[in-house]
Amino acid sequence: MTALRKFILATLIVAISSPAIAQTDEAEGLKMTALEALISAPPERALPIVTKVLSGDSSTALKERALFVLSQIDLPEAQTLLIETARTGDRNIRMEAIRMIGVGGNSKALADLAEIYTAGDGDTREAVLEAYLIADDKDAVYQIAANSQNPREFEKAVNVLGAMGAMEELRALRDRPGAAEVLIEAYAVAGDVETLTALATDSSDPERQAQAIHGLGIAGGNEVGDVLVGIYRDTEVPDVKEAALEGLMIGDYDQAVLELFRASDDAAEKRELLETLVIMDSDAVWEIIDKTLENEQ
Amino acid sequence: MINDDILTLYYYRDGLTEAERARVQAAIEEDTALRARYEQLCEDVESFAAAEPVAAAPAAVARWHDSIERVARIEQQRASSRNRVFHLPSFAWGAVVAAALVVGIGIGSYFSGNNVPEPSIDNGVADTAMPEPRSPSVTFARGLLVHLRESRQELADLPMGADSERAMLIMQMIQQNRMFERAAVQNESQDLARVLRAFEPILMRLASDDISPADAEALQAQLAFELNVMLTKLRRNVSEVTGPI
Repeated sequence: MTALRKFILATLIVAISSPAIAQTDEAEGLKMTALEALISAPPERALPIVTKVLSGDSSTALKERALFVLSQIDLPEAQTLLIETARTGDRNIRMEAIRMIGVGGNSKALADLAEIYTAGDGDTREAVLEAYLIADDKDAVYQIAANSQNPREFEKAVNVLGAMGAMEELRALRDRPGAAEVLIEAYAVAGDVETLTALATDSSDPERQAQAIHGLGIAGGNEVGDVLVGIYRDTEVPDVKEAALEGLMIGDYDQAVLELFRASDDAAEKRELLETLVIMDSDAVWEIIDKTLENEQ
Repeated sequence: MINDDILTLYYYRDGLTEAERARVQAAIEEDTALRARYEQLCEDVESFAAAEPVAAAPAAVARWHDSIERVARIEQQRASSRNRVFHLPSFAWGAVVAAALVVGIGIGSYFSGNNVPEPSIDNGVADTAMPEPRSPSVTFARGLLVHLRESRQELADLPMGADSERAMLIMQMIQQNRMFERAAVQNESQDLARVLRAFEPILMRLASDDISPADAEALQAQLAFELNVMLTKLRRNVSEVTGPI
C-alpha cells in the first residue's frame, strides 16, 4: 500500500465518528493501523487528526499511540499539545505524554517538565525522570537531585544520573551529607572509575571504602583489576581485603585472582582464593586442581 | 551469538567499539556459517545501493532538495552534541537486570565494552568487504531499518510467560537496542537516539518476572506500534534521499 493510500485510509478512519464503528478489537486494530500510517502524512495534515484522536472518546491505548505519533511531528503546536496533555490528561495519558516529551526532545517542553515534576505525585515524578533520561537531559536531572530535600527522591534522581553516565554531575554531588552509598552505586553504573578509585583507596572510612571497592568491580574496565589487586595486597584490614576479593569476583577478573593464588604462601588464603575462582566458574580452576593433585602424588 | 543487527553494524563500521569489531571479525573468520551470512548481508546491502537509476519528477527533486537543506540545518544545530554511552541503568530496572545476569546471561560483558580489552584491529575481513564510504546518516538509517525490522520480529516471536528464555531474549534485544542508540548518537541523530532510548524502559518492564500477561501484551503492542511507526518514517526518509530500497 502506498503512503498516499495509507494516509487517505487514516484520514477516513479517524474522521469517521466513533459511533459509526463498533468498539470491537477489529475496529481498534484498524484505527491503530491508521495512526501508524499518519507518520507518512505531512505534519500539518497529521496534527489535526492526532489532536482529534486525543480530544475524542478513543480508548486509552489509541490515545497513547497517538501521543507517540505526536512526538514525531516536527511542529511547535505538537509540543504545545504534548505539554497540555501532560498537565491535564487522564492519568495514564498524562504519564505517556510526559514520556513522549522526552522522546520529542523539545527544549521548551523539557523545561516545562520541571514544573510538572514539582507539582506531581511519585509516579509523575518518576515519569519526568524517565523523560529526562530519554532526552539525555543531564542538567535537568542534576537540578532535581541538587534541590531535593527528600532522600528517596534524591536517590532516584542520582540513579538516573548514573544510568545517563553523567559523571560530571555526579561528582558535583559528591559532598552531599549521608549520600555516599547512593552516589557510589551511581558512580559504578556510570563507570566513573576515577572517582571510585579515589574512594576505594581512601581508608578514612572503611565502610565507604568497601562500598567503593565493590563499585569498582561493577564499573569494570582494563585498569580496575590492577587497582583491586593493589588494594588487596596493600591492606591489612580484613573487611577491605574481603571487599577487594569480592570486587575482583564481581568484575570477573579471574586472571588477577589466579595471580594472587600463585603468589600466596598462606594455605588459608590460597583456599579462599581457590574458592573464589570456583565461584567465578573460571577455567583456571582446572589447572590449579590438576597441579595441586599432582603435587600430592 | 552474533545476529544480523551486529553484522550490519560491523558492515557499516558503526556503533561497535574496536574490541567488539575485533570479536565479530574473529568470529567471521572462524565460523563458516557466519561468514556466509555476512557475505549474504553484504550482497543484500550493496543491492540497495545498486538500484536502477530512475529519472525523478521535478516536484520530487524539489522535495529532495528541501529535505537535504532541512537535514543540513538540523545537522548544524546538532554539531555540539557529544558522544555518550548509554550505561546499564540502575533506576527502576536495575533489579531486573541483576536478576537476568544472575541466571547466567553473559551478553552484557560481550558487548558492553567495559570489561573487554581493546586489541588492535586487523582489518583483513572487514576491509576486503567494505564498500565505498557512504553518507553516515543514510547508511545508519539503513542499518537501523534492519535492526527495527528484526526487533519487531523478535518481539512477535517472544514466548509468553515469565521464563528465563523470554528474559534472555529481551535482554539481547536491549543490548542490540543500546548499540544502535550509541550509533545514533555517534551519527548525531539525536531524534533517533531518543526513540531508541525510550524503547529500553519498555523492554525492561517486559523482562520483569512479575509482569502480568495482560500488561505484557499491552506493552508488546505499544512497542510493536512504535517500531512500526519508526520503520515507516525511516523507510520514507531513506527513500526520499536515496531512492527506493
